[in-house]
Amino acid sequence: MAKAIYFEDLKVGDPMPSLVKEPVTLVQLVRYAGASGDFNPLHYDPAVGQKAGFGGVIAQGMLIMGFAGQAISAWIPSRYLRKFKVRFLGLTRLNEVITIAGKVVEKREVDRCIVCQVVAKDEKGELKLKGTFEAQLPHP
Amino acid sequence: MHESIQGKRLAEFHYLVERAKIRELAEAIGDTDPVYRDQEAAQAEGYPDVITPPTFGTAINLWGGLGFSEICNRLGANPVRVLHAEQDYEYFEPVCAGETLQCTMTVAGFQVKEGRAGIMHLAVLETMAFNQKGRKVLVGRSTILEKLAEG
Repeated sequence: MAKAIYFEDLKVGDPMPSLVKEPVTLVQLVRYAGASGDFNPLHYDPAVGQKAGFGGVIAQGMLIMGFAGQAISAWIPSRYLRKFKVRFLGLTRLNEVITIAGKVVEKREVDRCIVCQVVAKDEKGELKLKGTFEAQLPHP
Repeated sequence: MHESIQGKRLAEFHYLVERAKIRELAEAIGDTDPVYRDQEAAQAEGYPDVITPPTFGTAINLWGGLGFSEICNRLGANPVRVLHAEQDYEYFEPVCAGETLQCTMTVAGFQVKEGRAGIMHLAVLETMAFNQKGRKVLVGRSTILEKLAEG
């Protein structure tokens, strides 16, 4: 669980602690399909992924957003999270190692919100998603 | 997809937030935070029960509402040409296990775009979730993109 964090603790440019995930596995995609209810076979049937021209299965975009959510909530308690949005930019394949990174890009005094950028990349630096989140933080 | 889907109500449903489903989603992501699996740990953080992770809205939509293929069906979209382009959440109150949410999913936007890859249709599916007290807790917006054959 994220430790207590206050609006005053952060400044523009501060990094979010990055999160390096374990390599993506087929079992993980199958578990995520069941957990999320996304049963598109592109995510677990290699033949369907081949036929679609992806050379095999591709991960659910929402799984990668889930990785980003894990990094965020490890840093900022969920009760302070107000907005979280991403654009899916690249496909994730099996065995890729996804790293989540982010930084504070804006501080709004009026509602004590920090705005942060978040990105997911693989080990070659290819971008999978890019987004922002806002958290409304308490005073000490 | 056709612009006549703009404003269409796709689904209205109740969703009971269950501990086991929260744990299942957190474990699939590989998130071992005890607030997603241990009621005592969640209570120590001031929540009444285990809390939902930030992307739990996807399980609410796909398990509580319509599945992916049924959504495509109602939008008149070809599922093999559909991609999830963007996802957006707004959080108003933490959602914990034991809550029953009242949800509606509507087509909040429709757009035609022409790019290098040809013509694309974009639809924004908005799900609003209210708790038993009638308070809005979560809004999710999924932008889905359908690539058309030509181009």
